Amino acid sequence: MVRVELEDVWFRYLSRGRWVLKGVSLSVENNELLVITGPNGSGKTTLLKIISLIYEPSKGDVLVDQKKFWELSNSEKTLIRRKITYVHEKPVLLKGSVLYNVAYGLILRGYEEEEAFKRSEEILKELGLETRASVNAQELSIGEAQLVALARALLLNPEILVLDEPFAHLDARKREILINLLKEKHKKGVGMVISSHQSDYLKNLNVSKTINLEDGKVVQAY
Amino acid sequence: MRGATRTSILLTVSVVAVALSLSYAFLSLGSVVRVKVSTTTSLYATGLADHLASSFNSVYPEARVEFVAVGTGAALKLAERRDVCAVLIHEPSLEKQYIDKGVIRDGKIFAYNYFVIVGPAEDPAGISNSSNLIEAFRKIYHAGEESKALFISRGDNSGTHFRELHVWRLVSLSVEGAEWYLDCGCGMSEALVMANELGAYTLGDMGTYLKLESSGRLGRLRILYENKEDNLTVNVYSAYLVEGCSGLEKKYAELFINFIYENQRELIGSFGVSEYGRPLFYPARDKELVIQGLWDVFASGSR
Amino acid sequence: MLTVETLNTVLRSIYVSGVATLLSLTWSIPASYYLALKGRSRLLETIVETLVGMPTVLLGLLLYFILSSSGPLASLKLLYTPQAIIIGESILVTPLIISASYRLLKNTIRTFSELALTLGASKTQTMFLVLRETMSGITASAVMGFSRAIGELGVAMMVGGNISGHTRVLTTAIALGVARGEFEEAVFLGIILLIITITITVALKYLSKAYEEWYA
Repeated sequence: MVRVELEDVWFRYLSRGRWVLKGVSLSVENNELLVITGPNGSGKTTLLKIISLIYEPSKGDVLVDQKKFWELSNSEKTLIRRKITYVHEKPVLLKGSVLYNVAYGLILRGYEEEEAFKRSEEILKELGLETRASVNAQELSIGEAQLVALARALLLNPEILVLDEPFAHLDARKREILINLLKEKHKKGVGMVISSHQSDYLKNLNVSKTINLEDGKVVQAY
Repeated sequence: MRGATRTSILLTVSVVAVALSLSYAFLSLGSVVRVKVSTTTSLYATGLADHLASSFNSVYPEARVEFVAVGTGAALKLAERRDVCAVLIHEPSLEKQYIDKGVIRDGKIFAYNYFVIVGPAEDPAGISNSSNLIEAFRKIYHAGEESKALFISRGDNSGTHFRELHVWRLVSLSVEGAEWYLDCGCGMSEALVMANELGAYTLGDMGTYLKLESSGRLGRLRILYENKEDNLTVNVYSAYLVEGCSGLEKKYAELFINFIYENQRELIGSFGVSEYGRPLFYPARDKELVIQGLWDVFASGSR
Repeated sequence: MLTVETLNTVLRSIYVSGVATLLSLTWSIPASYYLALKGRSRLLETIVETLVGMPTVLLGLLLYFILSSSGPLASLKLLYTPQAIIIGESILVTPLIISASYRLLKNTIRTFSELALTLGASKTQTMFLVLRETMSGITASAVMGFSRAIGELGVAMMVGGNISGHTRVLTTAIALGVARGEFEEAVFLGIILLIITITITVALKYLSKAYEEWYA
């Protein structure tokens, strides 16, 4: 169980730059599916990264299970971060095979290579990518790469999955595979935060809350 | 539109700048006759070459002598490739080869000075009372074999280098692979600096030595063997015309060589006396026959 | 042309410049990493980039003053030894290696440290991740450093002295060939120098590719 709350969060990249996020407050816990919509440049990615505990807000608090996250020790932070996994909009893959990439998250957590590879093969099958397992990750199409990054994240069994524009590079078939997989995981209790500026793909998902972001401010929440 | 304007202005400025520099290069050379002369770095380093050139220029302002100072071998190679019109050089055996090849001709000996052996003030090889170069070299050899001394060879086929090899041949001892024999493949100044650093012996010419010594660079070195009576230490400087040179450049090259030859006493005899307290070179005219005779010996002897 | 002495000169060149490059890497890579991590310092970047084009003969001269028998480090007796050339060349290529790898590291660190965070990696795991991903880029900057080292003349000449059998390297041998008028010999050595540089560049490129394939 985990609950992330943002209280009046403001964020800017440079100490005297423009504010990217202006007084955003929200909460998300596992079981919920939070959708964040808004035009490009509205601050969606930044918001997602703050929810994922990657960026520290310039002003305001981020509470995880009622504790102020950014005041915790480094080791506490690392442990909590493992409950929330963020997936970049543009997939970040390592040098090596697809299989290695998918397994990498588990390997980081201390799993034996054999076990990690086994689980990776399984999830690749679920995504219909098992034929690409030994291919060099740099050679994938961006749609395939996106699924690989997602597979990597899913294997880590996060309590909250944060996806930045997950449908952006996928064709219809892959979209369907992904939506089915997400539905399944959500049923099992994995919380999700998804950003998309095309809300029609999300129709088939059980959306708990939608937040409309414009110019760094929450303009609508329902 | 603004980007295009900026680009075209930049382009115009660059084209104009290039055109200006090119035309400057051509124009400034148009009126003066350039006489290209190759010479050795050691001769050039003493300043004598520029001294001769400026004296010549005051008599013939329409001509400008330009020196290319390189190694001895390269100086002659440049002549062979007709990149220069005259050569000032001091290595008789190489000169003879190039005369025989028809590369240079009409040689005139215009100066001489003496090779000396410089070395550490303590003189571990005890050469200072040697009666001739051969004896001095022999002493250095033995001191070297006993690890008491180091010797630096120019190793660059220069006049100094050839003379050094010539003496080793006369001593009939082989320095090949000796630990104490350092072949630096370097110029005279570098060799003297190295000798100073390592406290080693080396054969050098008076001109370069005095020049460096006066600027305080050679604190550990002294002239340990100097003997004007020893013909083996005579260093003969000659000027040659390069075969194949033609036109105005050839005319002024010939004039330059003659100018040096005829005015030896004024140009050469007094050069450097005020700065170094003694002459760096001697006019060959005073001992013409003897010097010529020595040139013949050196031209045939080495090899 | 291809004599025992030439062979020795070639091997000595590779040895001296190779060691110099490796030596420089030991401080240049951590320095690049540190600089990339700490964010921008325009001043530092500018200084480093300016130093990349430092005239070798100037560096050689400065080192000579330091190592000379009338200089502060005279007691080390390093002048006219291959070690002096190694030290000089390692200093020479440092700005080059730093500026080349710094750029690469900056981009990589941001991307991959974020990724590492999302996957719950520790600080150490993050560092290894970044190094692994930048290995080929770092190798490329090392190769650049080596090429510059083996092709430079000023340092080798001034602190090495071009002593036959001891500190003669390819560049100083070429300069000597020119001074002697032995132009063909000089060109011959120059071609050997180019062949070495090309071979090492290609070999290391191939090796880093192979290293990457190994993970597939």
